[in-house]
Order: sequence, then structure tokens, then C-alpha cells
Amino acid sequence: MSADHRESCPLCGTDFDPEGLGCRPTCPMAKGCSTVCCPGCGYSFPQSNSGLAGKLAKWLKGRKEA
Amino acid sequence: MAAPLPADGSAQEHFPAEAKVLLVGNPNVGKSVVFGALTGRYAQVSNYPGTTVELTRGRATIAGADHQVIDTPGTNNLLAMSEDEEVARDILVAEKGARVVQVGDAKNLRRALLLSVQLAEAGVPFVLALNMLDEARARGIRFDVDALRAALGVEVVGTVAVAKEGIDELARAIPAAHPASLRIAYPEPVEKAVAALEPHLPETGITRRALALLLLADASMERWAERHLAPPVRDAAAAARASLTQELKLPLRTVLGRTRLETADRLAAKVMRRGEAQGSGARIARWIGDASVHPVGGFVFLAAVLVVAYYFVGVFGAGFLVDWLENVFFAEYVVPATDWLIRAIVPAGAVQEFLAGPPGVPVEESRGLLVGAYGLVSMALSYGIAIVLPIVMTFFIAFSIMEDSGYLPRLAVVANRLMKRMGLNGKAVLPMVLGLGCDTMATMTARIMETKKERVIVTLLLALGVPCSAQLGVILGMLSGISLTGALFWSGSVVGTILLVGWLASKVLPGQTSDFLLELPPIRRPQLSNVVIKTVARIEWYLKEALPLFVLGTFVLWVADRLNLLPWVIRAVEPVVTGVLGLPPEAGVSFVLGFLRRDYGAAGLFDLFNERMRAGTLGVEGEIQVVVAMVVITLFVPCIANFFMIVKERGLKTGIAMAAFIFPFAVAVGGVVNLLMHWVMG
Repeated sequence: MSADHRESCPLCGTDFDPEGLGCRPTCPMAKGCSTVCCPGCGYSFPQSNSGLAGKLAKWLKGRKEA
Repeated sequence: MAAPLPADGSAQEHFPAEAKVLLVGNPNVGKSVVFGALTGRYAQVSNYPGTTVELTRGRATIAGADHQVIDTPGTNNLLAMSEDEEVARDILVAEKGARVVQVGDAKNLRRALLLSVQLAEAGVPFVLALNMLDEARARGIRFDVDALRAALGVEVVGTVAVAKEGIDELARAIPAAHPASLRIAYPEPVEKAVAALEPHLPETGITRRALALLLLADASMERWAERHLAPPVRDAAAAARASLTQELKLPLRTVLGRTRLETADRLAAKVMRRGEAQGSGARIARWIGDASVHPVGGFVFLAAVLVVAYYFVGVFGAGFLVDWLENVFFAEYVVPATDWLIRAIVPAGAVQEFLAGPPGVPVEESRGLLVGAYGLVSMALSYGIAIVLPIVMTFFIAFSIMEDSGYLPRLAVVANRLMKRMGLNGKAVLPMVLGLGCDTMATMTARIMETKKERVIVTLLLALGVPCSAQLGVILGMLSGISLTGALFWSGSVVGTILLVGWLASKVLPGQTSDFLLELPPIRRPQLSNVVIKTVARIEWYLKEALPLFVLGTFVLWVADRLNLLPWVIRAVEPVVTGVLGLPPEAGVSFVLGFLRRDYGAAGLFDLFNERMRAGTLGVEGEIQVVVAMVVITLFVPCIANFFMIVKERGLKTGIAMAAFIFPFAVAVGGVVNLLMHWVMG
């Protein structure tokens, strides 16, 4: 389990490690998709630590800590 | 006291049953952290025989004795739905006499208790570790641990595994673990079938009663039965299963699930208290939370949310932002700048004309590849960036606010009642809600439905009537240009079609429905950073997924235009487009390309009517055309990716059957709406 990054499902509130829970392997539009599926209820939502959103999240976190 | 021991290759040595500890729990409840706290850093990982599921084993000294600790895969149900759940169940069945530690998420007590109830029924000696107690407390959740201990009849220990809080107490409780005293009674036919089967079953890690229930309700137990039961016992179990299905009119797993859920709910209600609201903000949040799931108030609340979303997405996004981006930014800057750049870089001649058309010819009359009526910059980017992007951006903001505020699951609860009325499983709400984001992703998550019938109905309804974010945004934009009557006609037609088709499908397709379990998080004030990050992530996804298809669609149009095929296409679909639907012939191109992406088709229709909508010169006939066009494009298969996903998930035959049903059905509904609106408004 990766302790670095956790996601909280916006639908059922389950807090989980997103590692390996992406929809990528089975999706025909998989390339570049950074969606994760909640293990509790199956809801899909974008990961907040990848791509442009990930960079933005890191920047916001950095500002907060500073 | 747990004293970690380094693994030295002997972790898989033979341990007596009472020296084995199985960690069992729902996925992502901190089981691995509890494992680490009990055993230390060292562990052996190996596949469970015959599967790809990994098991982690380690050693711990508990009450002075050497123990083997096995971290089983996360499971929500001993009636297995996945390979992970099968492995967790098989370990419990095989490990006779082993002690069990159930790790539960204190924030999600109902889900944890649903598993506790099954462990109680299985008769395994167990201890319940209520983990993440600190997070539960922070959310104002309080537990009466003594009452839970008394109700279950096993030891209950509160833990914060990441801080190693409660781990020593848990380790002390393990040697004294004993079977729970809680008992569950099922409907009489089930009890009779279980009683008849029990005496013929072997002794295993779980009670004969629990084993009988598994054999009757869980199809994946057949492999186990082949290895461990004599043929007459297997035949008796199969006959009892068939007879119960007939008698109960529901799958046995649904009947068991409901009874267990009721028991878990009763227990949770007895031992858990949500903290009293403190301060006016908390009181308002509590009031909003209650109102949003009220049987009547919930729909009023939903209507209010939709009105706000309409003004933000439809009026601000699709009106103001699109108008500025399309008519000012693109029409006055981007397209002229591209045209100027091409003519500055490429020498006058055939290549320049190929890219931007002849000099001095207006864009809409030009046939250039980049700048022209079907140019990749003047049309593809204009559709993708000037028309659809501002709409999806405002929609994504609204959607992220709903998610982050905790309203989305409440929307699912309100819609759940409606779903059940039209004969659908309540869980169908989840893919439906998700479909408002992307139907392709939602089609994949239809897997969470338990029966094939439910999965087929949800897939069909997603493809037929749930508009994805991009399409919904364009539609909201078009709604802002027509009257309330027109908007009601569109929404009534789409909702009515979903209800009718869902109801009919539930009657026509064989099979049953199952139950829906959702823990409601508290209503909270949305965090600006969360909303911004999620919106950016979704816009990024949209740009990567949709824009290339917009470019491809425009390129197809450009080729068709250069080869003079467009008049043929328009003529081919004209009888349907003008005759049945009463639309201008040019709308045919949008419908043909709507199959590539529904929102691309919708953007084309938006473009077709936008000028008249903004000028207020639509008139009754124009308004009917807008509504009919919106109804047809909403009911189309969302996009080519969604079609591929349907084929992949449900099979080629079902995919083709759905497409063959949806396209003519969409046109037929459009034709009926056209007639009805002329009758009412004409």
C-alpha cells in the first residue's frame, strides 16, 4: 500500500489507496486517462495527483505549506 | 503484546490452528497497516494456490507464543463476487480453528458490520478491530463499544493502526477470541433447506449452517463442492437451490443480503451516534443533508440545484462564454490570425489555397483544410474550444461542487427511489450519475450490478438517454435559447423515454434485481482547491479524449465536402430529417457525425440554430426544430468509443442489437415529439 497518496471517493466517502484501481486496463480510451474506480461503490473520478491537475495540486500544497 | 519477528523463510512452516491469525476486512480499511503493526516489517508474499491473488504472511509473538498472521484479500461479502473475495472465503473455510481479526473502517460502520454479521454466522472465533477511529471521531461519529461488544458477543477494540494505537489491546484480545453469539434467522424456506443440507456437510473452518448457505447462494462454491462433497450431496444442494429460487422469487443471495443488511443497520443504529451539530454552520449542513434526501423535499432540493446549474452552465457558460469565444476570440482573432499566418508563410498558389482557400473568399465559403467551412481551425477547434469547452468547463465546476459538498451521493439516494419504481436495481444510480460525466466510463462501471439483466438495462439506458457532460452542456446551452414549454418537452421526452424503456426492459428481460448500500458522507462546504483540481483533471481528460475526435470528424466532413459527397449524405437522410423530424436538411450532417460523438453532433446543431436563438427569431417552428433535434441527438448512442465499450462489456451481438434499436428509436421519438409539439404549440 502506498502511503504517499490516497483518494477519497466523492460518492461514498471511502478513503483508499488508488494504486492499481484505475480503469485503464479495460478501457478502449485508456491512453492518457487518469480515472480511478472506488473499491467501495464503483464510482469513477479523476485522480488528483496526475497530469496537469497533479501539478496544480502539488503547487497549491506547496503554497499552503509555505 | 505483539512483538515483531523477522521472517526467516519459516513463515510458511506448519502452525497449529490456534496459532494462526487471519486478518479479514473490507478493502482499504487499513488491514495491511494492522498486519504491519502486528508482525513488523518482514513478510512473505505468495500467490494463493491456483489464483493470481497475493497473500501476505508474517510472524508475530502474541501473548508470548509464536503466531502466523495471514493478511487475506479485502472482501465485502463472503458470498463472493470476485476472485479476491473467493480467496478470502476459501481461506476461512479451509483454516479450521484459526483466530480471525476483522479490521473495519470506523467511518463506515454499516459496511464493517455487514461483514461482522457474516463472520458471526460463520462461527469463527474473531475480534473486531474498529480502525481509523481518529478519523471517525473527527467526523463527529461516536460509538458505544460496550453495546457493540454485547450485541455481537465478541471483543471489540478501537484502533488507529497508523499510529499503533490500540494494537497492544488487540493483540491481547486475539488468544481469547471466540465465536460470536449473534444469530440471524432467514425466511422459513431458507431455514428448511439449510436444515436439510447441514447434516451431510463435512466439518470446515466455518459452521455447517454457514457452509450450507454458501453452497445454496454462491455459484462459485461449485468448484469447492466438487472436491469436497459426494455427488448425492451436491445434487441435493443443486435441487434445493433451484427450488428456493422458484419459491422465493428472488435470488437467494439477495434474500440473505437483505436480512444481513437489516441486521447490520439495526446494530449500527444501536451503537453509533453522529455528533450533535455544533455551531450554526454545522446545523445548516445537517439541515441541508436531511432536506436533500427527504422523500418530497429531496426532489424540491434537486429542482433548485438544477435551476442553479442551468443558470451557471446554460446561461453563463453556453451563453456568455460561448458567445465571446466563438464570435469574438475565434471569429475576430484566431481564424484571421491563422489565415494571415498561412498566407505569410506559404507562398501564394495551390498549397496556400489547399490550406486556407483562395484569398478574399469568406471563411464559410472557403474549402481550405485549416481555414474554411470545414477547416480544422475554423470548425474543429471552434467546435471543441469555443463551443464545447466553456460549456463542459462550467458543467465540470458545477459537478465538482456537487461532489465535494457531499450532495452527489444524496442525489443518488433521491434518484434511487425513482430507479426502483421503474423496475431497476438501486445501484443503477451510480453508473447513471457517472454517465453524466462520461457514458463510456459509466458503461464499464455497470459491472457493479450483480445480475446480467441489470447490467444490460443500465448499459442500454446509458447509451440511450443519459447525456454525457459535453453533450449535456451543449443541450443546457440550447435550452437557454428556447421557451420553458420547449425545455419541458425536451426533458419530458428524454425522462419519459428512459422510464418507459427501463420499465419495458425490466419486464422483457429475464432475471432479478439486488440491493444497494451507500454510506452518506456529511454535507460540507466545498473546498475551492478540490473543485479547481478536479475541474482541471476533467478538462484535461476532455481535451485528450474529445478534441482529437472533433478534429477527425471535421476532417471526414472536409474530405466529404471536397469529394462533393455532402449533398449526397444530406439527400440520403433528407426524407427522415425533413420528412419525419421536420428539420432543415443540413441537420442531417450533424446526425450522421453525431455517431462519432453525440456532443459533436450537438455542437453542430447548436451552431445551426445559435444565431436565431440569440437574435430571438426562432419562432414556434424554429423552437420545435430545436427541441426535436435535441431529443434525437440525446437519444443517439453517445459516441463511437461508447459503442466499442458496449461491445467489449456486453458482447458484439448485444452491442449491435442495442445500436440497431437505439438509432431508429431515437428518430421515432423525435418524430412523435415533432407531431406532439405541432399539435400543442402550432
